[in-house]
Amino acid sequence: MARRTSLPVTFVVPTIAILLVLSMVPTLYAIVIALQNRELSTPDYSWVWLSNFVDLFLDRRFLNAVWVSVKWEIVTVVATMVVAIGLGVLMFEVASPRLRNIYCLLFIIPVLLPRVSAAFVWKFAYHPLYGIATYPYRLLTGGLIFDPLSKPATALFAVASVDVWQWGLFFAVIVLKLLETLPPQPIEAARLDHAKRWQIHAYVTLPMLKAPLISLMFVKMIESLRSFDLIYVMTRGGPGVATETLDMYAFSQGFIESGKVSYASAMAVLMMIATVITFTMLWKRVQA
Amino acid sequence: MRPGRLIGKAILALAGFLAVFPLLWTALNALKNNVDIITRVPRLVFTPTWANIGYILGRDSVLTGLYNSVVACGSAVLIGIVLGLPAAYAVARYPNRWAGDIQFFVLSLRFLPPVAVAIPLMVIWLQVGLYDTLPALIITYSLLTISVIMWLAIPAFQSVPKEIEEAAFVDGYGAYSVFWRIALPVAARSLAGAVAFSFVLVWNEFLIALMLSSSNAKTLPIVASELSQQGMNVPWGILNASVVLLSLPPLLFLGVLSGFLNSVFRQKKT
Repeated sequence: MARRTSLPVTFVVPTIAILLVLSMVPTLYAIVIALQNRELSTPDYSWVWLSNFVDLFLDRRFLNAVWVSVKWEIVTVVATMVVAIGLGVLMFEVASPRLRNIYCLLFIIPVLLPRVSAAFVWKFAYHPLYGIATYPYRLLTGGLIFDPLSKPATALFAVASVDVWQWGLFFAVIVLKLLETLPPQPIEAARLDHAKRWQIHAYVTLPMLKAPLISLMFVKMIESLRSFDLIYVMTRGGPGVATETLDMYAFSQGFIESGKVSYASAMAVLMMIATVITFTMLWKRVQA
Repeated sequence: MRPGRLIGKAILALAGFLAVFPLLWTALNALKNNVDIITRVPRLVFTPTWANIGYILGRDSVLTGLYNSVVACGSAVLIGIVLGLPAAYAVARYPNRWAGDIQFFVLSLRFLPPVAVAIPLMVIWLQVGLYDTLPALIITYSLLTISVIMWLAIPAFQSVPKEIEEAAFVDGYGAYSVFWRIALPVAARSLAGAVAFSFVLVWNEFLIALMLSSSNAKTLPIVASELSQQGMNVPWGILNASVVLLSLPPLLFLGVLSGFLNSVFRQKKT
Protein backbone atom coordinates (compact mmCIF):
# COMPACT_ATOMS: atom_id res chain seq x y z
CA MET A 1 0.00 0.00 0.00
CA ALA A 2 2.72 2.47 -0.91
CA ARG A 3 0.55 5.42 -1.84
CA ARG A 4 1.67 9.01 -1.81
CA THR A 5 -0.11 10.58 1.11
CA SER A 6 0.65 12.86 4.00
CA LEU A 7 -1.08 10.49 6.42
CA PRO A 8 1.95 8.80 8.00
CA VAL A 9 3.55 12.15 8.79
CA THR A 10 0.42 13.86 10.15
CA PHE A 11 -0.51 10.81 12.21
CA VAL A 12 2.86 9.82 13.63
CA VAL A 13 4.92 12.97 14.06
CA PRO A 14 2.74 14.88 16.59
CA THR A 15 2.16 11.82 18.73
CA ILE A 16 5.80 10.79 18.84
CA ALA A 17 6.86 14.38 19.46
CA ILE A 18 4.50 14.62 22.43
CA LEU A 19 5.63 11.26 23.79
CA LEU A 20 9.26 12.31 23.44
CA VAL A 21 8.67 15.57 25.30
CA LEU A 22 6.57 13.92 28.02
CA SER A 23 9.16 11.22 28.63
CA MET A 24 12.47 12.97 27.99
CA VAL A 25 11.77 16.11 30.04
CA PRO A 26 11.21 14.23 33.32
CA THR A 27 13.98 11.75 32.55
CA LEU A 28 16.60 14.41 31.89
CA TYR A 29 15.32 16.50 34.76
CA ALA A 30 15.63 13.52 37.10
CA ILE A 31 19.33 13.41 36.23
CA VAL A 32 19.69 17.16 36.79
CA ILE A 33 18.03 16.96 40.21
CA ALA A 34 20.18 13.98 41.14
CA LEU A 35 23.29 16.12 40.65
CA GLN A 36 22.00 18.83 43.00
CA ASN A 37 21.12 18.89 46.68
CA ARG A 38 17.48 19.92 46.59
CA GLU A 39 15.28 19.43 49.60
CA LEU A 40 11.55 19.88 49.87
CA SER A 41 11.83 22.25 52.83
CA THR A 42 13.83 24.96 51.05
CA PRO A 43 13.89 26.34 47.51
CA ASP A 44 17.71 26.84 47.64
CA TYR A 45 20.03 24.32 46.11
CA SER A 46 23.53 23.95 44.77
CA TRP A 47 25.29 21.54 42.48
CA VAL A 48 26.89 18.61 44.24
CA TRP A 49 27.53 16.48 41.13
CA LEU A 50 28.10 12.85 41.99
CA SER A 51 28.15 13.05 45.76
CA ASN A 52 24.55 11.74 46.03
CA PHE A 53 25.63 8.62 44.17
CA VAL A 54 28.70 8.16 46.36
CA ASP A 55 26.50 8.51 49.45
CA LEU A 56 24.12 5.91 48.08
CA PHE A 57 26.77 3.26 47.81
CA LEU A 58 27.79 3.90 51.41
CA ASP A 59 24.17 3.76 52.55
CA ARG A 60 23.44 0.34 54.00
CA ARG A 61 19.73 0.91 53.80
CA PHE A 62 20.07 1.53 50.06
CA LEU A 63 22.03 -1.68 49.60
CA ASN A 64 19.35 -3.50 51.57
CA ALA A 65 16.70 -1.98 49.27
CA VAL A 66 18.60 -3.24 46.21
CA TRP A 67 18.68 -6.72 47.70
CA VAL A 68 14.97 -6.63 48.63
CA SER A 69 14.11 -5.47 45.09
CA VAL A 70 16.11 -8.30 43.55
CA LYS A 71 14.43 -10.81 45.87
CA TRP A 72 11.02 -9.35 45.01
CA GLU A 73 11.71 -9.62 41.27
CA ILE A 74 12.85 -13.25 41.52
CA VAL A 75 10.11 -14.42 43.90
CA THR A 76 7.22 -12.80 42.03
CA VAL A 77 8.40 -13.67 38.51
CA VAL A 78 9.17 -17.31 39.30
CA ALA A 79 6.02 -17.87 41.37
CA THR A 80 3.83 -16.18 38.75
CA MET A 81 5.22 -18.35 35.94
CA VAL A 82 4.89 -21.55 37.99
CA VAL A 83 1.29 -20.79 38.95
CA ALA A 84 0.42 -19.68 35.40
CA ILE A 85 1.87 -22.74 33.69
CA GLY A 86 0.51 -25.12 36.33
CA LEU A 87 -3.05 -23.81 36.22
CA GLY A 88 -2.96 -23.24 32.45
CA VAL A 89 -1.97 -26.85 31.78
CA LEU A 90 -4.54 -28.09 34.32
CA MET A 91 -7.34 -26.16 32.63
CA PHE A 92 -6.20 -27.52 29.26
CA GLU A 93 -6.22 -31.09 30.58
CA VAL A 94 -9.22 -31.47 32.87
CA ALA A 95 -11.66 -28.60 32.23
CA SER A 96 -14.49 -28.79 29.71
CA PRO A 97 -14.81 -25.85 27.27
CA ARG A 98 -17.62 -24.34 29.33
CA LEU A 99 -15.69 -24.64 32.58
CA ARG A 100 -12.64 -23.15 30.85
CA ASN A 101 -14.62 -20.05 29.97
CA ILE A 102 -15.83 -19.68 33.54
CA TYR A 103 -12.34 -20.12 34.99
CA CYS A 104 -10.94 -17.64 32.47
CA LEU A 105 -13.40 -14.98 33.61
CA LEU A 106 -12.72 -15.68 37.30
CA PHE A 107 -8.94 -15.64 36.84
CA ILE A 108 -8.97 -12.25 35.13
CA ILE A 109 -10.80 -10.55 38.02
CA PRO A 110 -7.85 -10.14 40.45
CA VAL A 111 -5.58 -8.44 37.93
CA LEU A 112 -8.23 -5.86 37.09
CA LEU A 113 -8.42 -4.70 40.69
CA PRO A 114 -6.50 -1.59 41.60
CA ARG A 115 -3.33 -2.66 43.41
CA VAL A 116 -4.50 -0.57 46.34
CA SER A 117 -7.72 -2.59 46.54
CA ALA A 118 -5.91 -5.90 46.22
CA ALA A 119 -3.51 -4.81 48.95
CA PHE A 120 -6.37 -3.88 51.28
CA VAL A 121 -8.32 -7.04 50.61
CA TRP A 122 -5.32 -9.14 51.63
CA LYS A 123 -4.22 -6.89 54.45
CA PHE A 124 -7.60 -7.57 56.06
CA ALA A 125 -7.35 -11.25 55.20
CA TYR A 126 -3.90 -11.54 56.80
CA HIS A 127 -4.95 -9.82 60.02
CA PRO A 128 -3.69 -12.10 62.84
CA LEU A 129 -6.88 -11.97 64.92
CA TYR A 130 -9.77 -11.29 62.58
CA GLY A 131 -8.42 -12.15 59.11
CA ILE A 132 -10.11 -14.73 56.95
CA ALA A 133 -6.81 -16.08 55.58
CA THR A 134 -5.35 -16.64 59.04
CA TYR A 135 -8.58 -18.21 60.30
CA PRO A 136 -7.71 -21.78 59.25
CA TYR A 137 -4.47 -21.48 61.21
CA ARG A 138 -6.28 -20.20 64.30
CA LEU A 139 -8.82 -22.99 63.95
CA LEU A 140 -6.23 -25.76 63.59
CA THR A 141 -3.93 -24.57 66.33
CA GLY A 142 -6.68 -23.68 68.78
CA GLY A 143 -6.23 -19.92 68.59
CA LEU A 144 -2.48 -19.44 68.10
CA ILE A 145 -1.59 -16.17 66.44
CA PHE A 146 0.09 -15.98 63.06
CA ASP A 147 0.90 -12.54 61.72
CA PRO A 148 2.58 -12.94 58.33
CA LEU A 149 2.87 -9.22 57.59
CA SER A 150 4.78 -8.32 60.76
CA LYS A 151 7.42 -11.05 60.68
CA PRO A 152 10.58 -10.16 58.72
CA ALA A 153 10.88 -13.74 57.48
CA THR A 154 7.40 -13.92 55.99
CA ALA A 155 6.42 -10.33 55.18
CA LEU A 156 7.98 -10.27 51.71
CA PHE A 157 6.33 -13.54 50.76
CA ALA A 158 2.97 -12.43 52.14
CA VAL A 159 3.05 -9.31 49.96
CA ALA A 160 4.40 -11.28 47.00
CA SER A 161 1.48 -13.70 47.33
CA VAL A 162 -0.88 -10.83 46.49
CA ASP A 163 1.15 -10.03 43.38
CA VAL A 164 1.03 -13.68 42.32
CA TRP A 165 -2.70 -13.78 43.10
CA GLN A 166 -3.18 -10.98 40.58
CA TRP A 167 -0.71 -11.94 37.85
CA GLY A 168 -0.33 -15.71 38.17
CA LEU A 169 -4.05 -16.33 37.70
CA PHE A 170 -4.21 -13.88 34.80
CA PHE A 171 -1.24 -15.46 33.05
CA ALA A 172 -2.82 -18.91 33.53
CA VAL A 173 -5.57 -17.71 31.18
CA ILE A 174 -2.96 -16.66 28.63
CA VAL A 175 -1.09 -19.97 28.92
CA LEU A 176 -4.37 -21.79 28.29
CA LYS A 177 -5.09 -19.67 25.21
CA LEU A 178 -1.57 -20.34 23.96
CA LEU A 179 -2.03 -24.09 24.44
CA GLU A 180 -5.32 -23.89 22.53
CA THR A 181 -3.57 -22.34 19.53
CA LEU A 182 -1.19 -25.30 19.17
CA PRO A 183 -1.77 -27.76 16.34
CA PRO A 184 -3.16 -31.06 17.72
CA GLN A 185 -0.96 -33.37 15.62
CA PRO A 186 2.24 -33.38 17.75
CA ILE A 187 0.16 -34.01 20.88
CA GLU A 188 -1.63 -36.89 19.16
CA ALA A 189 1.69 -38.32 18.00
CA ALA A 190 3.09 -38.19 21.53
CA ARG A 191 -0.06 -39.82 22.85
CA LEU A 192 0.29 -42.68 20.34
CA ASP A 193 3.84 -43.15 21.64
CA HIS A 194 2.27 -43.75 25.08
CA ALA A 195 3.67 -40.56 26.55
CA LYS A 196 2.13 -39.62 29.88
CA ARG A 197 0.15 -36.40 30.11
CA TRP A 198 2.83 -34.51 32.02
CA GLN A 199 5.48 -35.78 29.61
CA ILE A 200 3.50 -34.43 26.65
CA HIS A 201 3.52 -30.99 28.24
CA ALA A 202 7.09 -31.07 29.50
CA TYR A 203 8.61 -32.30 26.24
CA VAL A 204 6.15 -31.28 23.51
CA THR A 205 3.75 -28.42 24.20
CA LEU A 206 5.74 -26.18 26.53
CA PRO A 207 8.90 -26.29 24.37
CA MET A 208 6.71 -25.35 21.40
CA LEU A 209 5.53 -22.32 23.37
CA LYS A 210 8.99 -21.29 24.49
CA ALA A 211 9.02 -17.95 22.66
CA PRO A 212 5.63 -16.64 23.87
CA LEU A 213 6.33 -17.90 27.40
CA ILE A 214 9.60 -15.98 27.48
CA SER A 215 7.77 -12.85 26.27
CA LEU A 216 5.23 -13.40 29.03
CA MET A 217 8.01 -13.62 31.59
CA PHE A 218 9.49 -10.43 30.18
CA VAL A 219 6.16 -8.63 30.68
CA LYS A 220 5.98 -9.89 34.25
CA MET A 221 9.52 -8.71 34.96
CA ILE A 222 8.51 -5.21 33.89
CA GLU A 223 5.27 -5.28 35.86
CA SER A 224 7.06 -6.57 38.97
CA LEU A 225 9.00 -3.32 39.05
CA ARG A 226 5.72 -1.67 40.04
CA SER A 227 5.57 -3.13 43.52
CA PHE A 228 5.14 0.19 45.27
CA ASP A 229 1.35 0.27 45.77
CA LEU A 230 1.20 -3.18 47.35
CA ILE A 231 4.10 -2.58 49.69
CA TYR A 232 3.01 0.94 50.59
CA VAL A 233 -0.44 -0.19 51.67
CA MET A 234 0.46 -3.53 53.24
CA THR A 235 3.71 -2.98 55.12
CA ARG A 236 5.15 0.46 54.32
CA GLY A 237 8.47 -1.30 53.83
CA GLY A 238 8.34 -2.91 57.25
CA PRO A 239 8.78 -4.71 59.54
CA GLY A 240 12.01 -2.73 59.84
CA VAL A 241 13.32 -2.67 56.30
CA ALA A 242 12.33 -6.24 55.40
CA THR A 243 10.10 -5.25 52.49
CA GLU A 244 11.66 -1.92 51.60
CA THR A 245 12.18 -2.02 47.84
CA LEU A 246 13.99 0.69 45.91
CA ASP A 247 10.91 2.68 45.01
CA MET A 248 9.63 2.46 48.57
CA TYR A 249 12.98 3.71 49.93
CA ALA A 250 13.19 6.45 47.33
CA PHE A 251 9.69 7.57 48.28
CA SER A 252 10.36 7.58 52.00
CA GLN A 253 13.67 9.45 51.56
CA GLY A 254 12.07 12.00 49.27
CA PHE A 255 8.77 12.50 50.99
CA ILE A 256 8.11 10.83 54.32
CA GLU A 257 11.31 11.03 56.34
CA SER A 258 13.56 13.80 55.18
CA GLY A 259 12.35 15.41 51.96
CA LYS A 260 15.70 14.78 50.30
CA VAL A 261 14.39 15.01 46.77
CA SER A 262 17.82 14.95 45.16
CA TYR A 263 18.90 11.88 47.06
CA ALA A 264 15.66 10.12 46.09
CA SER A 265 16.13 11.20 42.49
CA ALA A 266 19.66 9.77 42.42
CA MET A 267 18.16 6.45 43.45
CA ALA A 268 15.51 6.73 40.76
CA VAL A 269 18.17 7.50 38.16
CA LEU A 270 20.13 4.39 39.11
CA MET A 271 16.94 2.31 38.87
CA MET A 272 16.18 3.82 35.50
CA ILE A 273 19.63 3.09 34.11
CA ALA A 274 19.57 -0.47 35.43
CA THR A 275 16.11 -1.28 34.09
CA VAL A 276 16.54 0.39 30.72
CA ILE A 277 19.83 -1.40 30.08
CA THR A 278 18.58 -4.78 31.31
CA PHE A 279 15.29 -4.68 29.46
CA THR A 280 16.71 -3.31 26.24
CA MET A 281 19.22 -6.18 26.18
CA LEU A 282 16.56 -8.75 27.08
CA TRP A 283 14.14 -7.33 24.49
CA LYS A 284 16.72 -7.48 21.70
CA ARG A 285 17.43 -11.06 22.69
CA VAL A 286 13.73 -12.00 22.78
CA GLN A 287 13.24 -10.45 19.35
CA ALA A 288 16.30 -12.11 17.84
CA MET B 1 -5.49 -41.35 35.31
CA ARG B 2 -8.81 -41.08 37.20
CA PRO B 3 -7.51 -39.91 40.59
CA GLY B 4 -5.11 -37.56 38.82
CA ARG B 5 -7.96 -35.87 36.98
CA LEU B 6 -9.94 -35.57 40.19
CA ILE B 7 -7.04 -33.91 41.99
CA GLY B 8 -6.54 -31.61 39.01
CA LYS B 9 -10.18 -30.57 39.09
CA ALA B 10 -9.99 -29.99 42.83
CA ILE B 11 -6.92 -27.75 42.45
CA LEU B 12 -8.65 -25.75 39.72
CA ALA B 13 -11.80 -25.35 41.80
CA LEU B 14 -9.68 -24.17 44.72
CA ALA B 15 -7.88 -21.66 42.48
CA GLY B 16 -11.20 -20.39 41.17
CA PHE B 17 -12.42 -20.01 44.73
CA LEU B 18 -9.24 -18.16 45.76
CA ALA B 19 -9.60 -15.84 42.77
CA VAL B 20 -12.93 -14.38 43.83
CA PHE B 21 -13.52 -15.25 47.46
CA PRO B 22 -11.30 -12.54 49.02
CA LEU B 23 -13.15 -9.93 47.00
CA LEU B 24 -16.59 -11.32 47.85
CA TRP B 25 -15.58 -11.41 51.50
CA THR B 26 -14.60 -7.74 51.30
CA ALA B 27 -17.94 -6.90 49.73
CA LEU B 28 -19.68 -8.83 52.51
CA ASN B 29 -17.67 -6.98 55.17
CA ALA B 30 -18.77 -3.71 53.62
CA LEU B 31 -22.29 -4.65 54.71
CA LYS B 32 -21.34 -5.53 58.28
CA ASN B 33 -21.38 -3.61 61.51
CA ASN B 34 -18.02 -3.48 63.24
CA VAL B 35 -19.05 -6.10 65.84
CA ASP B 36 -19.64 -8.58 63.04
CA ILE B 37 -16.21 -7.98 61.47
CA ILE B 38 -14.05 -8.01 64.57
CA THR B 39 -14.72 -11.61 65.51
CA ARG B 40 -12.23 -14.41 65.91
CA VAL B 41 -14.52 -16.76 64.03
CA PRO B 42 -15.56 -15.23 60.67
CA ARG B 43 -19.30 -14.61 60.57
CA LEU B 44 -21.35 -15.52 57.53
CA VAL B 45 -24.72 -14.77 59.07
CA PHE B 46 -25.30 -11.22 60.23
CA THR B 47 -27.77 -8.38 59.95
CA PRO B 48 -26.63 -6.28 56.98
CA THR B 49 -26.26 -2.53 57.26
CA TRP B 50 -26.05 0.14 54.59
CA ALA B 51 -24.37 2.54 56.98
CA ASN B 52 -20.82 1.96 55.68
CA ILE B 53 -21.74 2.49 52.06
CA GLY B 54 -23.88 5.48 52.97
CA TYR B 55 -21.01 6.98 54.98
CA ILE B 56 -18.55 6.51 52.09
CA LEU B 57 -20.88 8.03 49.52
CA GLY B 58 -21.62 10.95 51.82
CA ARG B 59 -18.01 11.95 52.43
CA ASP B 60 -16.74 14.97 50.53
CA SER B 61 -13.21 13.58 50.28
CA VAL B 62 -14.47 10.38 48.65
CA LEU B 63 -16.73 12.24 46.23
CA THR B 64 -13.92 14.63 45.28
CA GLY B 65 -11.62 11.66 44.79
CA LEU B 66 -14.19 9.96 42.61
CA TYR B 67 -14.66 13.13 40.57
CA ASN B 68 -10.88 13.61 40.19
CA SER B 69 -10.39 9.99 39.16
CA VAL B 70 -13.15 10.14 36.58
CA VAL B 71 -11.97 13.45 35.10
CA ALA B 72 -8.23 12.63 35.14
CA CYS B 73 -8.62 9.11 33.75
CA GLY B 74 -11.35 10.04 31.29
CA SER B 75 -9.38 12.97 29.85
CA ALA B 76 -6.13 11.02 29.69
CA VAL B 77 -7.86 8.14 27.88
CA LEU B 78 -9.47 10.59 25.43
CA ILE B 79 -6.08 12.13 24.69
CA GLY B 80 -4.69 8.62 24.33
CA ILE B 81 -7.39 7.78 21.76
CA VAL B 82 -6.96 10.97 19.76
CA LEU B 83 -3.17 10.77 19.59
CA GLY B 84 -2.56 7.03 19.93
CA LEU B 85 -4.96 5.47 17.45
CA PRO B 86 -3.93 7.46 14.34
CA ALA B 87 -0.25 6.94 15.13
CA ALA B 88 -0.81 3.22 15.62
CA TYR B 89 -2.64 3.03 12.29
CA ALA B 90 0.19 4.82 10.48
CA VAL B 91 2.80 2.50 12.00
CA ALA B 92 0.72 -0.56 11.14
CA ARG B 93 -0.18 0.39 7.57
CA TYR B 94 2.67 2.60 6.36
CA PRO B 95 5.72 0.88 7.81
CA ASN B 96 8.94 2.75 7.13
CA ARG B 97 12.44 2.23 8.39
CA TRP B 98 11.60 3.78 11.74
CA ALA B 99 8.56 1.60 12.45
CA GLY B 100 10.56 -0.86 14.56
CA ASP B 101 12.25 1.92 16.50
CA ILE B 102 8.93 3.64 17.16
CA GLN B 103 7.44 0.43 18.51
CA PHE B 104 10.44 -0.15 20.74
CA PHE B 105 10.38 3.43 21.98
CA VAL B 106 6.69 3.16 22.88
CA LEU B 107 7.31 -0.09 24.74
CA SER B 108 10.40 1.23 26.48
CA LEU B 109 8.29 3.94 28.15
CA ARG B 110 6.91 1.08 30.21
CA PHE B 111 10.45 0.30 31.51
CA LEU B 112 10.73 3.68 33.20
CA PRO B 113 10.29 3.24 36.95
CA PRO B 114 7.30 5.37 38.04
CA VAL B 115 9.38 7.00 40.81
CA ALA B 116 11.89 8.16 38.24
CA VAL B 117 9.11 9.98 36.38
CA ALA B 118 7.19 11.18 39.43
CA ILE B 119 10.02 12.89 41.36
CA PRO B 120 11.19 15.24 38.58
CA LEU B 121 7.61 15.88 37.48
CA MET B 122 6.71 16.92 40.98
CA VAL B 123 9.53 19.48 40.99
CA ILE B 124 8.57 20.65 37.50
CA TRP B 125 4.85 21.04 38.31
CA LEU B 126 5.77 22.87 41.52
CA GLN B 127 7.86 25.34 39.54
CA VAL B 128 5.19 25.84 36.88
CA GLY B 129 2.52 26.25 39.52
CA LEU B 130 0.46 23.27 38.40
CA TYR B 131 1.35 20.94 41.29
CA ASP B 132 -1.73 19.34 42.84
CA THR B 133 -3.99 20.20 39.89
CA LEU B 134 -5.90 17.95 37.54
CA PRO B 135 -4.21 19.27 34.35
CA ALA B 136 -0.83 18.15 35.69
CA LEU B 137 -2.22 14.69 36.41
CA ILE B 138 -3.95 14.48 33.04
CA ILE B 139 -0.79 15.41 31.13
CA THR B 140 1.28 12.92 33.11
CA TYR B 141 -1.28 10.15 32.61
CA SER B 142 -1.43 10.88 28.89
CA LEU B 143 2.09 9.53 28.60
CA LEU B 144 0.74 6.22 29.91
CA THR B 145 -2.47 6.12 27.88
CA ILE B 146 -0.95 7.18 24.54
CA SER B 147 1.83 4.62 24.75
CA VAL B 148 -0.39 1.74 25.89
CA ILE B 149 -3.13 2.44 23.37
CA MET B 150 -0.54 2.71 20.60
CA TRP B 151 1.18 -0.50 21.65
CA LEU B 152 -2.06 -2.51 21.64
CA ALA B 153 -3.65 -0.83 18.61
CA ILE B 154 -0.79 -1.56 16.19
CA PRO B 155 -1.55 -5.33 16.06
CA ALA B 156 -5.30 -4.56 16.02
CA PHE B 157 -4.91 -2.47 12.85
CA GLN B 158 -2.56 -5.01 11.32
CA SER B 159 -5.23 -7.69 11.67
CA VAL B 160 -7.70 -5.75 9.52
CA PRO B 161 -7.67 -7.57 6.16
CA LYS B 162 -5.67 -5.50 3.69
CA GLU B 163 -8.04 -6.38 0.87
CA ILE B 164 -10.87 -4.32 2.37
CA GLU B 165 -8.68 -1.24 2.49
CA GLU B 166 -7.34 -1.87 -1.01
CA ALA B 167 -10.91 -2.14 -2.31
CA ALA B 168 -11.77 1.19 -0.68
CA PHE B 169 -8.79 2.82 -2.38
CA VAL B 170 -9.98 1.45 -5.71
CA ASP B 171 -13.40 2.95 -5.01
CA GLY B 172 -11.70 6.33 -4.78
CA TYR B 173 -11.40 6.77 -1.02
CA GLY B 174 -8.47 8.87 0.16
CA ALA B 175 -5.99 7.64 2.76
CA TYR B 176 -7.73 9.54 5.57
CA SER B 177 -11.22 8.34 4.76
CA VAL B 178 -9.94 4.75 4.57
CA PHE B 179 -8.73 5.22 8.15
CA TRP B 180 -12.00 6.80 9.30
CA ARG B 181 -14.56 4.76 7.43
CA ILE B 182 -12.84 1.39 7.05
CA ALA B 183 -9.98 0.69 9.45
CA LEU B 184 -11.52 2.24 12.57
CA PRO B 185 -14.93 0.53 12.32
CA VAL B 186 -13.49 -2.86 11.31
CA ALA B 187 -10.94 -2.90 14.14
CA ALA B 188 -13.39 -1.30 16.60
CA ARG B 189 -13.78 -4.30 18.90
CA SER B 190 -10.06 -4.84 19.46
CA LEU B 191 -9.54 -1.10 19.77
CA ALA B 192 -12.21 -0.92 22.47
CA GLY B 193 -10.24 -3.56 24.37
CA ALA B 194 -7.07 -1.50 24.07
CA VAL B 195 -8.84 1.62 25.29
CA ALA B 196 -10.48 -0.22 28.19
CA PHE B 197 -7.09 -1.60 29.18
CA SER B 198 -5.54 1.86 29.24
CA PHE B 199 -8.42 3.12 31.38
CA VAL B 200 -7.98 0.34 33.92
CA LEU B 201 -4.25 1.06 34.00
CA VAL B 202 -4.60 4.75 34.88
CA TRP B 203 -7.60 4.20 37.15
CA ASN B 204 -5.47 1.80 39.18
CA GLU B 205 -2.41 4.06 39.14
CA PHE B 206 -1.22 5.04 42.61
CA LEU B 207 2.39 6.18 42.93
CA ILE B 208 2.26 9.09 40.46
CA ALA B 209 -1.06 10.33 41.83
CA LEU B 210 0.34 10.11 45.35
CA MET B 211 3.36 12.22 44.47
CA LEU B 212 1.57 14.77 42.30
CA SER B 213 -1.28 15.64 44.64
CA SER B 214 -1.47 16.98 48.16
CA SER B 215 -5.09 17.97 48.66
CA ASN B 216 -7.09 19.16 45.63
CA ALA B 217 -6.20 16.60 42.98
CA LYS B 218 -6.24 13.41 45.04
CA THR B 219 -7.63 10.48 43.10
CA LEU B 220 -9.79 7.75 44.59
CA PRO B 221 -6.94 5.27 45.29
CA ILE B 222 -5.16 7.94 47.34
CA VAL B 223 -8.30 8.78 49.32
CA ALA B 224 -8.91 5.10 49.99
CA SER B 225 -5.35 4.53 51.18
CA GLU B 226 -5.59 7.53 53.49
CA LEU B 227 -8.70 6.14 55.14
CA SER B 228 -6.68 3.13 56.15
CA GLN B 229 -3.83 5.19 57.49
CA GLN B 230 -6.07 6.20 60.36
CA GLY B 231 -5.62 2.62 61.48
CA MET B 232 -8.23 0.87 63.53
CA ASN B 233 -9.95 4.14 64.38
CA VAL B 234 -11.86 3.84 61.13
CA PRO B 235 -14.44 1.07 61.32
CA TRP B 236 -13.39 -1.75 59.05
CA GLY B 237 -16.74 -1.81 57.34
CA ILE B 238 -16.12 1.67 55.97
CA LEU B 239 -12.68 0.71 54.67
CA ASN B 240 -14.16 -2.34 52.99
CA ALA B 241 -16.87 -0.21 51.43
CA SER B 242 -14.26 2.16 50.01
CA VAL B 243 -12.32 -0.79 48.56
CA VAL B 244 -15.49 -2.01 46.87
CA LEU B 245 -16.23 1.43 45.41
CA LEU B 246 -12.66 1.70 44.11
CA SER B 247 -12.76 -1.77 42.54
CA LEU B 248 -16.08 -1.53 40.74
CA PRO B 249 -15.15 0.60 37.68
CA PRO B 250 -12.34 -1.69 36.43
CA LEU B 251 -14.58 -4.73 36.92
CA LEU B 252 -17.17 -3.17 34.62
CA PHE B 253 -14.69 -3.78 31.81
CA LEU B 254 -14.31 -7.49 32.58
CA GLY B 255 -16.42 -8.50 29.59
CA VAL B 256 -14.73 -6.16 27.10
CA LEU B 257 -11.27 -7.17 28.24
CA SER B 258 -11.84 -10.91 28.20
CA GLY B 259 -13.32 -10.54 24.70
CA PHE B 260 -10.20 -8.61 23.74
CA LEU B 261 -7.97 -11.42 25.05
CA ASN B 262 -9.93 -13.96 23.03
CA SER B 263 -9.66 -11.93 19.83
CA VAL B 264 -5.90 -11.46 20.29
CA PHE B 265 -5.35 -15.20 20.48
CA ARG B 266 -7.81 -16.06 17.74
CA GLN B 267 -5.70 -13.97 15.38
CA LYS B 268 -2.58 -15.91 16.23
CA LYS B 269 -4.26 -19.16 15.31
CA THR B 270 -4.92 -18.15 11.71
